[in-house]
Amino acid sequence: MKTNWFWILVFIGPALALLLIFLIIPIFASLFLCLTDFNVRAMVNWSNAKFVGFRNFIELFQDELFWKAVLNTFYCLAVAMPVTVCLALMNSVLLNREQTKLKTFFKTAFFLPFITNTVAIAVVWAWILNPHYGVLNWLLGIFGIEGPNWLGDPKWAMPSIIMLVVWKAVGYNTILFLAGLQNIPDFLYEAAELDGASSWQKFWYITLPLLKPTTVFVTTMMIIGYLQLFEEPYMLTQGGPLNATLSIVLYLYRQGFKFFNLGYASSIAVVLFLMIASLTILRLKLGGQD
Amino acid sequence: MRRISIVITLILMIATLSLSVKTLRIWAMGEEAKNLHIMAEKFMKENPDVEVKIQAIPWSAAYDKILTGIAGMQLPDLIQMGTTWMAPFGAMGVFEELTPYIKKSFINKDMFFEGSWQTVTMDGGIYGIPWYVDVRVMYYRKDILESIGYDHAPQTWNELYEVAKKLAKRGEKMYALSLLYTGVFGNEFMPFAWQAGGRIFDENGNIRVTDPEFVEAIRYYARFFWEKLAPVGGANVLQDFAAGVVPIFFSGPWMVSLIEKQTPQIAGKWSVALMPKNKKRTSFVGGCNWVIFNTSKHKELAWKFIEFMTKPENQLEWYKIVAALPAVKKAWEYPELANNPIIKVFGEQLKDAKSPPNIPAWEEIANAISRRVEEAIYRKRTPEKAAEMLKKDIEKIMR
Repeated sequence: MKTNWFWILVFIGPALALLLIFLIIPIFASLFLCLTDFNVRAMVNWSNAKFVGFRNFIELFQDELFWKAVLNTFYCLAVAMPVTVCLALMNSVLLNREQTKLKTFFKTAFFLPFITNTVAIAVVWAWILNPHYGVLNWLLGIFGIEGPNWLGDPKWAMPSIIMLVVWKAVGYNTILFLAGLQNIPDFLYEAAELDGASSWQKFWYITLPLLKPTTVFVTTMMIIGYLQLFEEPYMLTQGGPLNATLSIVLYLYRQGFKFFNLGYASSIAVVLFLMIASLTILRLKLGGQD
Repeated sequence: MRRISIVITLILMIATLSLSVKTLRIWAMGEEAKNLHIMAEKFMKENPDVEVKIQAIPWSAAYDKILTGIAGMQLPDLIQMGTTWMAPFGAMGVFEELTPYIKKSFINKDMFFEGSWQTVTMDGGIYGIPWYVDVRVMYYRKDILESIGYDHAPQTWNELYEVAKKLAKRGEKMYALSLLYTGVFGNEFMPFAWQAGGRIFDENGNIRVTDPEFVEAIRYYARFFWEKLAPVGGANVLQDFAAGVVPIFFSGPWMVSLIEKQTPQIAGKWSVALMPKNKKRTSFVGGCNWVIFNTSKHKELAWKFIEFMTKPENQLEWYKIVAALPAVKKAWEYPELANNPIIKVFGEQLKDAKSPPNIPAWEEIANAISRRVEEAIYRKRTPEKAAEMLKKDIEKIMR
């Protein structure tokens, strides 16, 4: 049968065009931009941009603030990922038990932060974290602990951001784990019970191994998501204090859309892309050989 | 056939009508956008052949909207432009140079406050006309200052420091004044540098941030944090001011109505005063300018609208509508402004107010200033070291 290219184009053309204009062309544009000194004067008149080879990258690798941003971002990833996985797994196991009451309520409650606008969340959290009249320090005060100056102390600012990020991500991942749990056939547990397995053994030898596909997916998505940390520090701290919460994307945004150093910002984007790509491949290689 | 010809004549009539009516497209932001139609209607009454179309843009989206507008060359004839955005957007080369218009107009440099005029001049050209201004002054709690023995606002740097010390001694978790310490606060810090006699560049473009005056400003600013006279960590200025925790802060005229509306419980207990004096009492002046895009097809018309908005009586009318401070000096002679004790202070402060260098790199420099001053605040570096690092940063930015 003859392929009817006309109808193929009619049906997938619009989607393809959107993809091309908003995704593929920009990606290649930034690949090209990172080799130029595209800045504010080139915005309208493109001929003002010069080809500079790898100068942006050389400068980037000597840029103290960039490395600070890399460090901060990986700090967030390294803490937030395991914490999110543990909390989400715990929540989903609890929600999966038959005895648990008010399941729908808890599912909704856990999921709500994920769908709430980050701007609104940030405003509320700024109040919660307020050192003088915030709820969090008031709660800690009940237990006789003097809470830190969350967003004002360079040591505590990143943990505050991580708290917010985890709180936001747990609900979504709980639902993913829950779906994974519901795919595990009941007879496995029944067989284990007959063999006299404790609930801990059941979790360790049945639930965890069979959840592996979900875990691989969840952690991969988390690597991609957490390395692009932006909204939370942007709204809450603007990267401060002392750049303790400056993330890679926040730095990219600053360079690109505040200072209009679009060439330099593109080189950050390329480096970030390489980081995310290599970590994702590594994660899939480590977790995917079944 | 008959019907068709009627339709055609109708279309033609509408077409000719719409051709004779010239449309002036304006982008405006915030409260201004909501109320500008009042002025536009008055303008249209004076110019019946003109239709003014105002597009309202929320402040939060304005930056991106202008940026994409410029990138796609989809721009209005006239726009309200924040003074600190003049340089970056101006550098993109889409602002109309206004010297030829000014030559044949009543508008001239001397009508405006010096600091405000500074924001429209770039690279020796004039790229906008000031519309309204905002200038930072000192807000203080009269009752609390009286309770520690001051019947007036602190007048000098030394007095401000003494008052601050006493205010902080009122008790645990009591502070004196609110200052920015994180994020980008170049515009908030620069008044202190100017008051001390410091500057970023001299006439020859040399970087002067390591001068003793500039370093003195960093030390003075940071010391309020070192000695816990200024709070750190997500406080709310308005609430703290009303609660008396922080009885002094520096801000612009918009705070007047915010205090009146949100914290009516302190009515009559607060006032405003000029910036504290070191060598000078210089403050920061911002606000908004009118800018014509050089892509516009109705530049003369846009200029006419600017002239209309610049007339002192219309500046006064605009003040009555949204309480924006007039950029035209003459408008300050009207009793509505001259007899208002709070507004009068702003008028006085405007005579000694500056804006930061009008260069596209300012945002980047402001970031560097904030970063280094912050390092001094957190005692990561001494003020001298912070200034040295700042000099290196600015050298790199200007290269």
